[in-house]
Amino acid sequence: MLRASVIERLAIATASTALALLIGVSIVAAAGYDPVQFITSMIQGAIGGQSAIARTLRFSTLFILTGVAVAVAFRAGVFNIGVQGQFVVGGFATIMSIIWTAPLLPEGIIGGVGLLLIGFVAGACAGGAYGALPGALKAYADANVIITTIMLNFIATGVVGWLVQNPFRGEGNAAPNTERIPEYVSLPSIVFDSSGFSIIGLGIALATVAIIFVVMERSRFGYDMVTSGHQESAATYSGVGAKRTVVMTMALSGMVAGIAGAVFAIMIQGYYTDPSGIGTYGFDAIAVSLLAANNPIGIIPAGLLFGGLESAGSHIGIYTDVPVQLIDGVIGLVILFVAVPELFRMAAVRTGLGGER
Amino acid sequence: MTTEETPPAVRMEGITKRFGDVVANDTVDFSLEKGSIHALLGENGSGKTTLMSVLYGLYEKNAGTIYVGGEPRTFESPRDAMDAGVGMIHQHFQLVETMTVLQNIILGHEPSDNGFVDTSTARKDIEEICSRYDFHVDKFLDTKIQDLDLGARQRVEIVKSLYRGADILILDEPTAVLTPQEIEDLLDLMEELADAGHSLIFITHKLGEALGAADEITVLRDGEAIGTVDAGETSEEELARMMVGREVQFDRPPRDPPKGDTVLDAEQLHVRGSRGLEQVSGVDLTVREGEILGVAGVQGNGQTEMVEALTGLRDIDSGSVRLNGETITDTNRRQRIDAGIAYIPEDRTTEGLVQDYTLVRNALLGNQTVEPFVDNRMIDWAAVHDHAGEIIQEYDVQPPTKSADAKSLSGGNQQKFIVGREIEHDPDVMIASHPTRGVDIGSIEFIHDRLLELRDAGMAILVVSSKLDEIQKLSDRIVVMYEGEFMDTVDPVETTEEELGMLMAGHDAGSGDNVPSGGVQL
Repeated sequence: MLRASVIERLAIATASTALALLIGVSIVAAAGYDPVQFITSMIQGAIGGQSAIARTLRFSTLFILTGVAVAVAFRAGVFNIGVQGQFVVGGFATIMSIIWTAPLLPEGIIGGVGLLLIGFVAGACAGGAYGALPGALKAYADANVIITTIMLNFIATGVVGWLVQNPFRGEGNAAPNTERIPEYVSLPSIVFDSSGFSIIGLGIALATVAIIFVVMERSRFGYDMVTSGHQESAATYSGVGAKRTVVMTMALSGMVAGIAGAVFAIMIQGYYTDPSGIGTYGFDAIAVSLLAANNPIGIIPAGLLFGGLESAGSHIGIYTDVPVQLIDGVIGLVILFVAVPELFRMAAVRTGLGGER
Repeated sequence: MTTEETPPAVRMEGITKRFGDVVANDTVDFSLEKGSIHALLGENGSGKTTLMSVLYGLYEKNAGTIYVGGEPRTFESPRDAMDAGVGMIHQHFQLVETMTVLQNIILGHEPSDNGFVDTSTARKDIEEICSRYDFHVDKFLDTKIQDLDLGARQRVEIVKSLYRGADILILDEPTAVLTPQEIEDLLDLMEELADAGHSLIFITHKLGEALGAADEITVLRDGEAIGTVDAGETSEEELARMMVGREVQFDRPPRDPPKGDTVLDAEQLHVRGSRGLEQVSGVDLTVREGEILGVAGVQGNGQTEMVEALTGLRDIDSGSVRLNGETITDTNRRQRIDAGIAYIPEDRTTEGLVQDYTLVRNALLGNQTVEPFVDNRMIDWAAVHDHAGEIIQEYDVQPPTKSADAKSLSGGNQQKFIVGREIEHDPDVMIASHPTRGVDIGSIEFIHDRLLELRDAGMAILVVSSKLDEIQKLSDRIVVMYEGEFMDTVDPVETTEEELGMLMAGHDAGSGDNVPSGGVQL
């Protein structure tokens, strides 16, 4: 792990963000758009008013959850690139389990809470199983986790896409969507009057961070897992079973991704749709996790930063005439400046080519 | 002998190489005659590879002079060395597995034709080299490395060096990964290369191979050159004695070991090594309460695999292991830790300690199932913290800083920490593999005293070491391991270095003559 203190890390991230924005704005100006307007609408889009903040927190909630999913695996030295797939499978399982069990439970608040629980458990289990699969392939067939998880992303997107297109398409739906889950199954917004964001969703994300932090720092399983990531031969010496640990790590990582999928499905959508169009939270999460040096607590500010950028981007896209490609480019610059140096340092340490250890 | 007209191919004078405060090479002299094979023999960590890395430009020497072909030379980098005709074949092959043999051979030295790689010229040159010797590499120039067996890969490495114009070849433990048949082929090939005028340095820790293949043999021990002998005028026993030697005299009061209960015993243990070859071939052993059983032998005769099989780190092919009379053959490492087997591992840097963990976090290593450090699967860091402090104090770990990373400690202090942690584990049996390898004299004494105290307190202890003095000082009984088998059990007081040397070379001491019993290779 990198040795920079929390303050240093925040300072570095702030300075990198500022520098990246400066360059980005220069490009925007060079392309003939108003840079001042660009900056103001960016700030406006991230934190200007209730609905902007709600939107930022909605994205942040998902980035925090998927970021933690990535961090769990990376800390254990397992490169789970499949969070996106686990996120999709988890979200889909959540919606289907709620639709299937809804007729069995009473309507109203009791049924709503019961179905929420069922949905979250189903999402976590499905995501966990979908994560455990490449873990088992690694443990028992020595299949490269990076490759299998990437392939399983495609499989998840493709299969779920077909399922919502065909057998599970809601009756009378023109779009490839499942039925809606009942109205009474939802996460109420409470704080901001905004559809698509619930403070409960954010609470679930923060609680997940806390639980994962405790698991990694205080539990035997966490110690075994992190030790495997640091020095596998020492972990083996101390009685850690390498195979079991890979499977368990991937299952845990997949479970968190599945919970992220459940939050997305319930809080934002209320139904499931073709996953090729739902955003790439599972991939962006890799940058979030790297920025936080795979530390679960660090995921919170990193997730907020990414949420703010995403939110600002969608605002600018609507309220200015700056083309969306340019906005994505500026956001990409920020990610490049903030997260990529961490990636290189991590790679340098891992390959023994230098870097601080 | 050196004559005025033909200077030695390589001469190294007074080479000293230090890593921090560890002296890896201490004023070593070494000379390689032209057209000959010179074996560099020594235990792991005796400084063989370091010496050759200094020659090859991988390390910078602290003192000494190197002459190549009579001229003083110092190579800044391997590239420099290659340009001067020195090639090194590393123990771990430096080949790109997904590329073909031809591509690998010319990599970095591609003949060019207007900016394009001229493969036809390269092919001709390589075929030329191959036809001069018996390489059989030219037949699969277009095969990918990953499809070749290890023997063939090694020949590719050699061809690569020759293609780059190497006249002096350094082979670092070339036989370590080969089957007996492949070894024989390699040694024949080396002889052919020497006959053709190449000069070869052959790094090994196997007596038989050094004796069979080399013209001259230099023995290194703890970074010092012990001596150079003519292969024709020495014996395995002499070499074994030179390798393990005796550094310090010690008093060993005669002792009547108590006939305690058997704690650890193994029957007909058969274990395979990492390459699938049998390394332990039917070992029986018993360790009783209050005694130390010493396993002597030249490294690489199955000791590592035997220890790993006993500690639960390696699967057993056949045979059984019992602890306090209960069969534990099929239990895993963690179950064996819980059952009371403590283990001071052979390699403290990769196994015994997590290098970038603090001493506190390292105090938990191997203790993950031990109360009060872990209760109900949750770690009590305060208890671990106190435990680390106790180990540091009791076992004189310097500097006494709990928050220091393991890697910041010297070898001796790292080892003392491990020894302390394993003893405090309060086991039934202690297995110590090379407990003082690469450790300073002060720490050696300290660790020895602790092990003897532990024995007096009634613990059953198994010590594996290739240092004869250590084995003789600590053990109540000594067994000598050779090619995966126990040769004989001897009494540490009555035995002589000569007897141990014979046993370590695979000769049955009792029979009185020098008939090889285990079939000495070559």
